[in-house]
Amino acid sequence: MSLRVPQGEGGRASLRRLPTRGGLGSAAAKLSERYAIVGLWGVMIAVYSVLEPSTFDTSGTFQTIFGSQAALVFLSMAFLTTVIVGEFVDLSVASVLGLCATIVPVLAVLDHVNVALASVIAVAVGVCAGAINGFLVVYVGVNTIVVTLGMSTLLSGIALAIAHLSAVSGLSASFGQLALANVGGLPISFFYGLALALAFAYLLAFTPLGRHMQFVGANREVSRLAGVRVDLIRFGAFVAAGGLCGIGGVVVSAGLGGFDPTTSITYLLPTVSAVFLGTAVVRPGRFNPLGTLIALYFLATGILGLEELGLAGWISDVFYGAALVVAVTLTTLLRKRAAP
Amino acid sequence: MVVEPGEIHGLVGENGSGKSTLVKILSGYHTPDHGGWLTVDGEPIALPVRPAAMRRLGLSVVHQDLGLIDSFSVMENLRVALFGVRRFSRAIRWSRERELARSALAALGADIDPDVRVAELSIAQRAEVAIARALQYHERGRGLVMFDESTRALPLTARQHFHSLVRDFVALGGSVLLVSHQLEEVLEHTDRLTVLRDGRVVASGLSTNGLSEHELIRLMLGRELKRNSQRREATKRGAPPAAEIRGLTGGLVKDVNASVAIGEIVGVTGLLGSGFEEVPYLITGARRAAAGVARVGEQEFNLRDSSVRELLAAGVALVPERREREGLAFSESVLDNVTLPRLRARGGIGPRRRSWQRDEADRVVRELDIRPPDVHMPVKALSGGNQQKVLLGKWLYGRPKLLLLHEPTQGVDVGAREELERAIRGAAANGSGVILAGMDASELAGLCDRVLVMREGRIASELRGALSPERIIDAVYLEGRGGRAR
Repeated sequence: MSLRVPQGEGGRASLRRLPTRGGLGSAAAKLSERYAIVGLWGVMIAVYSVLEPSTFDTSGTFQTIFGSQAALVFLSMAFLTTVIVGEFVDLSVASVLGLCATIVPVLAVLDHVNVALASVIAVAVGVCAGAINGFLVVYVGVNTIVVTLGMSTLLSGIALAIAHLSAVSGLSASFGQLALANVGGLPISFFYGLALALAFAYLLAFTPLGRHMQFVGANREVSRLAGVRVDLIRFGAFVAAGGLCGIGGVVVSAGLGGFDPTTSITYLLPTVSAVFLGTAVVRPGRFNPLGTLIALYFLATGILGLEELGLAGWISDVFYGAALVVAVTLTTLLRKRAAP
Repeated sequence: MVVEPGEIHGLVGENGSGKSTLVKILSGYHTPDHGGWLTVDGEPIALPVRPAAMRRLGLSVVHQDLGLIDSFSVMENLRVALFGVRRFSRAIRWSRERELARSALAALGADIDPDVRVAELSIAQRAEVAIARALQYHERGRGLVMFDESTRALPLTARQHFHSLVRDFVALGGSVLLVSHQLEEVLEHTDRLTVLRDGRVVASGLSTNGLSEHELIRLMLGRELKRNSQRREATKRGAPPAAEIRGLTGGLVKDVNASVAIGEIVGVTGLLGSGFEEVPYLITGARRAAAGVARVGEQEFNLRDSSVRELLAAGVALVPERREREGLAFSESVLDNVTLPRLRARGGIGPRRRSWQRDEADRVVRELDIRPPDVHMPVKALSGGNQQKVLLGKWLYGRPKLLLLHEPTQGVDVGAREELERAIRGAAANGSGVILAGMDASELAGLCDRVLVMREGRIASELRGALSPERIIDAVYLEGRGGRAR
C-alpha cells in the first residue's frame, strides 16, 4: 500500500489558517461584517420609501417603529441575561412579562389597590418567577428548556385565571405617562429600553461581573476553578431576567392602559429572533445587547413596511420565524468560522 | 510521503506542525485545498475522503481520546454506523452484531464482554475496543490504520500490549501510521518515520534504525535543543514551608501528609488509580475532600468545607490536566483567559481595566513565548502547546503561594515543554511552593526536588537526593510488587 498526501502550496495553506491582521482592507471588511445588518436596514428603509412614499416615509412610521417595541426590548434583555451565562434557553420570559403586565391592572382596576403598590407587587412576582426558574435549573439541576417551558405555560394560565380569561383595562392616563410621556417626539419607554441596553452592554464589557458572566457562559468549570461564583451568577441571571420581565410588564401595562393575557405568548418568538439576529451585529458570533437592540428595530422596520404594503396579519409570523431560522444559521456559521 | 505495506510509520513534529491536521485530512474531517492527491494500495481516492471510501480501502483512525461513548455497550461502540439490519423489520440483528463484535475483539486476543458498558472498562480495555473498532473491516494485509496520540491515555503496562497488537497487524501486511509526541516510543516501535515542521515534510521515510532522540529533535525543531540537564540549585535548607497538608482523604486518596517549602518543587506520582492524580484537585477544593487540613502561609483550611474561592484567595492555584474542560475558556481571548482570576481583585473600569489586562497578557505571551503573539486571539485558535502556556501563565501571574500542577506538559512538544518547565522552575524561584502530579518520570526527575510515590491512596515512599527517571520508574512499578513500603 502506498499513500500520498497533498504537498506544496495548497496543502500548506490548509494547515495554517492564521488570521491576518492590520491593513485598511481587512479593517473595512471587519466593519462591514459587523454592521451588515445596519446597512441592510438602510436599504430596507430606502426600498420601502420608494414603494410607499406616502405612508412609509413619514415621521409617524418612525415613531411607530421606535415607540412600540418597549416590551420586546425588556424581554430580549431578560432573555439575553440567561443566554449569556450559558443557559439555553429561558422560554418563560414572555409569560412572566405577561403575568406581571396582567397583575398591575387586575390589582389596580379590579381590586382598587394603589397602582404604585400594584406595580411593586408585579415586579416582585417577576423576581420570584425568575428565582423559581433559577432554583430548579441551577441548584436542582433540571434542564433549562423543560423547566422554563413548563413555567411559561403555568404562568400564562395563572394570568388568564386572575384576569378571568379576558383583557383587563382601565388604568389611569396619569399612570400611562410612565410609558408614554413624550420625550423629543418619542415615548419615554423607548429611552428606558435604550438605557437598559446600554447599561447591559456596559456591564458586560466593562465590569468584572460582566466578564465573569461571559466566562460562566463560555466554560463553567474553568470559571469555577478561577474562583468565580458560578452558581450564584447563574441563579442571579434568572432572577435578573425575572425582574426585567416584571419592570417590562409594568411599562407595557402602563403604555396600553391594561393588558390582554392571551397575547403574552406572541412576544416570545420576536424576542428570540432579535437575540439571535443580534449575534450578527456589533460583536459577530456573540450574544450582545446592542446587537440585539439593533436587530429588534431592524425586524420591526421590516414588518411595519410589509404591513403597510398590505400584507397584514400573517406577515409578522412569517417574518419573525424566517428571521429566527436565518439568525440561528448565521450564528452557527459565524461561530464555525471563528474556530479554525 | 509514502507508507509501505507491512510497516509502522511514525509521524512526528512539534505542536502546531500539522500532524493532527494531516490525520484529519486523511480521515475526511478536513477538506484539503486543491493540488494534493492520495492513493491507497495504488488506487487514487477522491478528496475529501469519504467514510465509505475509507471503509472500502481499509483506512481508519484511532483518535487521541479513543472516541468511545461511555454510556453505550462495547458492541454498540464497535458496530455503530455498521449495523446490519433484518430484511423486513429493519431492526438491528443484535445476535449477529454481538458475534461480529466478539470476533473483532477475539482477533486482538481481547477478553471483553461485548454487552458491558464502556464506562465499566479499564483504560487498557478501552484502548482495545478502540483498536478493534479500527481494525474490524480491514482485510488481512491491506489498509492503513492511523493512531493519533492514542497511547497517551494508556498506562505503561497497557502500552506494551498495545504495541504488540500493532505489530501483529503489520506482520500480516497492513500499514500503520503512528502519530506521537513520545519520541522514545516512536523510535522504539516504528520502522520509518516522517517529520513535519510548520506544515511541511522536512524528512520522509527516515529509517529509525540507529536514529537518536537528539537527531530527531533537531529535525523537528530545526535546531538543537539543549536539554535542561542543569539542575536547579538545591533549595536552601530550612526554607520556611509554603504549605502543609495533613490527613488528606477523599476519592482514592487516604490520609496523605505532605509539606512544601517555599521555592521547592515536590513531585507526586504513582500508577493510575493510586490516587496521585486526585491530590491537586483535593488540595485546591476543586473536588471536595472527605477530610484534611491545608495550611497555607498563616491560614489554615479544613478541606472538607473550603471552597475554591477561599483557597484561591489564600494563594492556592491549580493547573488542571484537562485544558479544554477545566483549564481555559476556548472561545475567549488569550487576554481574557489570562486575566480571569484577577478580574475582581484588580477590577478597574473600561480602559483602565483594559490596560492592566493588556500588560499582564503581553507579559505572559512574551515570557512564555506564546505563538502567534496575539493576545486577542481566541484560545481555541492556538496549538496545544501554546494553549498550555496560556493556562500556566494565567496562574503564574498571580504569584501563588502554592501552585498545583497536574500533567503540565502532557501532549506538548519538546520546544513548548522546555518553555513550560522553565516557567515552572521560575515560579518556584519566585517563592511559590509547587506540587507537581504526573506520570512522566523524566519530567519529574528534571524538575522536582523530591518525589512522593503513591500506592493505593497512600504515600508509599519518598525519593530525595539525586533523582533519575529510572529511580522514579523503579519506585512506581517495581517496589509495589515486593510488599508495601509503609
